[in-house]
Amino acid sequence: MTGASGAGKSSLLSMIYLARKPSAGRIRLFERDVTTLSRPETAMMRRKIGVVFQDFRLLDHLTALENVALPLKISGQRDEKVRRHVAELLAWVGLSEHLDSYPPTLSGGQKQRVAIARAVVGRPSLLIADEPTGNVDDRMAVRLLYLFEELNKLGTTIVIATHNESLVARFDHPVVRLVDGGVRVDRPRKGRA
Amino acid sequence: MMLFARRDVPLDSDASGRFLPWLVAIMVYLAALALISALTMSRAIGHWQEGLSGTLTIQIPPDQVVAKAKSAPDALDRVLDLLIATPGVREAKVMEPEEIERLLRPWLGAAASLAELPVPVLISVTFNPAAEPDFAALARAVAKISPDAVVDTHQAWLGKVRDLARTVQGIAILVVVLIAGCAVMIVAFATRMGLSVHGHVIELLHLIGARDSYVASQFQAHVLSFALRGGMIGLLLAVGTVFLAGEVLKGSEAMVLPELALQPLDWSVLLLLPVAVALVATLTARFTVLRTLARMP
Ligand SMILES: Nc1ncnc2c1ncn2[C@@H]1O[C@H](COP(=O)(O)OP(=O)(O)OP(=O)(O)O)[C@@H](O)[C@H]1O
Ligand SMILES: [Mg+2]
Repeated sequence: MTGASGAGKSSLLSMIYLARKPSAGRIRLFERDVTTLSRPETAMMRRKIGVVFQDFRLLDHLTALENVALPLKISGQRDEKVRRHVAELLAWVGLSEHLDSYPPTLSGGQKQRVAIARAVVGRPSLLIADEPTGNVDDRMAVRLLYLFEELNKLGTTIVIATHNESLVARFDHPVVRLVDGGVRVDRPRKGRA
Repeated sequence: MMLFARRDVPLDSDASGRFLPWLVAIMVYLAALALISALTMSRAIGHWQEGLSGTLTIQIPPDQVVAKAKSAPDALDRVLDLLIATPGVREAKVMEPEEIERLLRPWLGAAASLAELPVPVLISVTFNPAAEPDFAALARAVAKISPDAVVDTHQAWLGKVRDLARTVQGIAILVVVLIAGCAVMIVAFATRMGLSVHGHVIELLHLIGARDSYVASQFQAHVLSFALRGGMIGLLLAVGTVFLAGEVLKGSEAMVLPELALQPLDWSVLLLLPVAVALVATLTARFTVLRTLARMP
């Protein structure tokens, strides 16, 4: 999803990950009209959605490892295997040196990668990433997008909001453009994904 | 497991975490003292009642008792005869002047000499525990012998003491109820404050799929730990105070209260107090969180 700054990308995404309700219209997710969900149903649906927030929203008093393990803790997974799984994931995004670092001591790009690890750790059915590569160099950006592609192949639907047109051009996926309050969808040339 | 040991909502670092245990300590301390005074009071009544129920005292005015050498039986002799003939009486004892003096000294002072005072003759009567004496009939018979004699079954005095004790107990219960109310309000207030201070953390927990009860459990764990800590501190202080008060009162004369020592019942009530406070506090936190979150959109 692309669009100029202030076009409404974050706003639209926040409605999809159930942080806000649309003032008009309806949103259907997983065969449900999300405006009719009860609080417990909303919680259960959110567990199927992983979110990389534009401002990361890491908990500063928890280590990188604890931050990433949080979705698993909340959904009741608390065995020893979790630590290994989480550590591997952090190693994959290049943070094996920082398992026990606290977010305030991490760089913007490092925080972003912790946020991405937290969003994908629970194997969500839907992954929403708001500007997930804004703070990393191009090499890491491409690497992260490959991670997303891998997840996509495993069956996860992925929505990424970005300004980075060159990144959009580099991959061959449907593009939603927010322009002047309207939506334009560009299908991929090869009809992939 | 270490990975999950830490609380997601950093409540321990709040300023409230430092003063809340002390507030709980003070509340438990006051409640413990109130309960101990109520328990001691009811024990005192039981003690007095037990000591006095099988007894009565008869006072005969001094002018009706003739001095040592006498020809005919005086009022005292006739009353004693009557008592010996009364069924159920185990003992009828004329109190020695020295004993009466000892009893009166705290009120009259050492200087006063009983010889100059019209002190009545006292007969202390003890009944068999099984006997059900007819006090009224006995009083009538005594009145026939000596119209000015006073038959004291201690009932009036005991009644007054019982009223006093009930008042003290009522106040103690009121104090405990008020303290419980205070505890509920303080915990509810602190919980609401925690919810708003950590609003961003709670929002995040919700966004990654936490149920309200998960958020509530974070607050419950926090409140439980400070309530237990504060409760134990308050309990220790209360036990220390009772011990000190017992030591101080031990030396005092004319001790009417039973020994101010903690009995098994007191101990169980005292130990229950921090547990009860912790329970009330934890439930309050849970209820407050769930209610506050349910009102959120
Ligand atoms: N809570 C809000 N209340 C009212 N207006 C808002 C609110 N949040 C955002 N907006 C407005 O909505 C518009 C879209 O904001 P949004 O954050 O969705 O943009 P964006 O496309 O994500 O921009 P960027 O690329 O800079 O992140 C902006 O004009 C913004 O001022
Ligand atoms: Mg945005």
